[in-house]
Amino acid sequence: MIQIESLHKQFGSYEAVQGVSLSVPKGAFLVLVGPSGCGKSTILRMLAGLEAPTSGTIAFGGKTVSDGGRGWVIEPSRRDAGLVFQSYALWPHMTVAGNIDWPLKVAGLDRDKRRERVGEVLDLLGIGQLADRYPNEISGGQQQRVAIARMIAPKPGILLFDEPLSNLDAKLRVEMRTELLRVHRATDATSVYVTHDQVEAMTMATHVAVMNGGRIEQFASPGELVVRPRTAFVATFVGTPPANLVPVVNGAYCGRLADAALAGRNGSAMFRPEELTLAEKPSDRTLTLDYAEASPMAGRVMVTGIRGDLRLTAITDSLPSFSVGDEVHFQLPPAPSMFFTPEGVRAQ
Amino acid sequence: MIRVPPSPSGRGASVLSDILMSTQSRNRSFKDAFLSPGLGLKAAVLVLLTVLVAAPLLKVFGATLAPGAWSAWSDVLASNLSRNLFWLPLANTMILGAGVATGCVLVGGFLAWLVVMTDVPFRRTIGLLATLPFMIPSFATALAWGSLFRNARVGGQIGFLEGLGFSVPDWLAWGMVPTLVVLIAHYYSLAFTVIAAALATVNSDLVEAAQMTGAGRRRIFLGIILPVALPALVAGASLTFAGAVSNFAAPALLGLPVRMQTLATRLYGMIEIGQAERGYVLAILLILVSAFFLWAGNRVISGRRSYATITGKGGRAKRFALGTARLPLFVAALSICVLTTVVPVAILIASSLAPSSSALFSDWSLHYWIGASDPAIARGQAGIWNNPLILSATGVTVGLGVTVAFSASLVGLLVAFVLARFRSGFLSAAINQISFLPLLVPGIAFGAAYVALLGAPIGPLPALYGTFLLLVVAATAYLVPFAVQTGRAVIQQVSGDLDESARMTGAGFLRRLLAITVPLAIRGLSAGALIVFVKIVRDLSLVVLLFTPTMPLLSVLAYRYASDGFTQFANALTVVVLVISVAATLLANRLQAKSQPWLQS
Repeated sequence: MIQIESLHKQFGSYEAVQGVSLSVPKGAFLVLVGPSGCGKSTILRMLAGLEAPTSGTIAFGGKTVSDGGRGWVIEPSRRDAGLVFQSYALWPHMTVAGNIDWPLKVAGLDRDKRRERVGEVLDLLGIGQLADRYPNEISGGQQQRVAIARMIAPKPGILLFDEPLSNLDAKLRVEMRTELLRVHRATDATSVYVTHDQVEAMTMATHVAVMNGGRIEQFASPGELVVRPRTAFVATFVGTPPANLVPVVNGAYCGRLADAALAGRNGSAMFRPEELTLAEKPSDRTLTLDYAEASPMAGRVMVTGIRGDLRLTAITDSLPSFSVGDEVHFQLPPAPSMFFTPEGVRAQ
Repeated sequence: MIRVPPSPSGRGASVLSDILMSTQSRNRSFKDAFLSPGLGLKAAVLVLLTVLVAAPLLKVFGATLAPGAWSAWSDVLASNLSRNLFWLPLANTMILGAGVATGCVLVGGFLAWLVVMTDVPFRRTIGLLATLPFMIPSFATALAWGSLFRNARVGGQIGFLEGLGFSVPDWLAWGMVPTLVVLIAHYYSLAFTVIAAALATVNSDLVEAAQMTGAGRRRIFLGIILPVALPALVAGASLTFAGAVSNFAAPALLGLPVRMQTLATRLYGMIEIGQAERGYVLAILLILVSAFFLWAGNRVISGRRSYATITGKGGRAKRFALGTARLPLFVAALSICVLTTVVPVAILIASSLAPSSSALFSDWSLHYWIGASDPAIARGQAGIWNNPLILSATGVTVGLGVTVAFSASLVGLLVAFVLARFRSGFLSAAINQISFLPLLVPGIAFGAAYVALLGAPIGPLPALYGTFLLLVVAATAYLVPFAVQTGRAVIQQVSGDLDESARMTGAGFLRRLLAITVPLAIRGLSAGALIVFVKIVRDLSLVVLLFTPTMPLLSVLAYRYASDGFTQFANALTVVVLVISVAATLLANRLQAKSQPWLQS
């Protein structure tokens, strides 16, 4: 449904997007995730047609809509796509119903059809009682629903979301995740969703593109990202908690703890939090760090230690009685579950 | 040790509140005696404001109701005089108001749109230039117009264009058209500032969201941008309307010679010829007209659909590409700015150097500046450097500016503090209302009110008419609303978290005052004081009725010289006023690093 081919975007001397290619089928929920400045919002705006690519192409359903090489872009309204802005961009001088109605009016629908459709989407989002209010008279969560309702009213085939939940509080964010997925399924559309929050990516996506510095680090399903991260960046970015990386110098963890299994290599070894345990005493398989924090989650406890640049997290069964200033001994399993080269790429 | 109890109003802590609060907590018996903290302070501020602002307004109203004066109302409103006394001036005033408001919103709105929303080149320069005309006093622009377009109809010197051999028609030289043009050239920057600030808050997401629907440019403009900017357009219109109907200088210089009267010039004339009661009636009517439109504009803006603050996170500025229209629009904008700033000032300077205003750029001499008395020129008036009256006027003007800068800032800070510290209650509400009252009162009407209040002795107090004190008191009262705004900004900067976080470190009152309060407040306060200074130095409408030969002021002298036909003296004096006010304005801008959000990319 969406094909992106070696997409580039240059702002002056700054290359925001550096050759991105991916494709997702109809009905997919694609999440672009990465730290701020990684180029994810720029890709979304190129998908919407609000920015033109410097080079590369975008096609929707086999039909090219942006072609940077030829400087050719189909205007936003003729792409069958709708966009929810991070700021919601509700028109402040129109009521909730007016906001939803206006795009339909521009599309030339007659009054009865419009009224019917506005009613439908108001009901779908559960905001029928707000129809006559103005945007500044409703809460942030309600504004968010209005923005979504306005986007889906003209029944676009592609739904674009630019960090839509980042202005909401934590509890509302969890609720709206479910709500968004419901809307996605109800509309039978293909969605592209931009966020910096990997939890949103892992919980909502069918396809995830982890981005960093204008490139895709890995494009895979959420499960695949956790099981087989392609780069060290992905390994430490996704998962709750994310995986641990221990630097390896000349076949020894941190240059001190030699291990024959490492065969004299350099790079970094990945250990999942559930593979680490805590030891009573230091040994030749433990790394000693300073206690940082412990937090209970789902019946188990996440314990984190820190020393220098190294930060390790282990999952234990009971709340340990550490206090600040204590040392924690992390016991390594017989072998790391994955190894990354000094360039940060997974080694075979 | 915690010595300071939580303040009842939560925030709003500041220097003075500290004094109050720490005194309260250190000395319980004192606190107990002081049943309602702040009552004394509030009452004192209210009395001060009442004397400064309310008393003259009540007095001018009372003066028209006195036995014997009552007939002034019927003279003005319903007699065979009233057509010339009131109705024709009212009609002219309304035409001026409507014309200026329309012109200003169009010109200011056009420039604001260009600067804020498009990719026009040199946006910053245009944005800066567009704010300048309001700093040039309107009598300067009016004098410059005269130097260019004067024709021989009323006698005296002819202007530059007639000197070149063109024949300037009367409608272009005198009366409504030139007054309209001059006032638009003066007030459009006010509309620009208001509209540009509003457009800058229009998130470009709003426009992109409309683009996503497939709406065309025209539809987006009419359906989204215009309605969102409407409150600002209304605000710009009502402010410039009120400014135009209150303006005295332009209609007096360009309209009076051909007997075009406005309420402001009529009111001036009545008081000058000694018919004070009729003048007071006109002043009251002028206040009503001006206040009504400000009130109406405010009503339209506030209300359910006031949408100045909508969630703004994540907004980015994307500029509207002008394409081939980029250059022509730039040239148009630049022409407007240059014609309303550089050109009038250049004409004034040239005219002050040229012996005859019909030949602005030849035979330049410094006679009008430094020449000694010469019976052949200007009836023997010496150049302004050798003219004792002008030198003393410069001294009085600057002295008045400095004094009022201090007194108004002090009053403003005091009022702002009381309002921030004690937000609720009848007294605070009254203080708030009265402190903004002068905004609704045209300067010339305020001057008339002060003539009514202090022109005659009150009990044992002597009449203040003709004294420096009268000028100081009237000018301070007139600038109270502005000074209160400055004071509020300063108190906001200093109070609350900043002071509280310093208090958490255990710093004592004096230490916080020196390390936190003073460094934060000093810039804002001095910038505010400088702007008060400028407003007084270039003011004509307030002081024109308070002027006496013993207390000469530059602006009034310039007006008198212009009325008497000594154009070059008037222009030279205006240049002096301009230099003083521009220097002070630049300094003020530097001090407050003026925030112009619409200039940021």
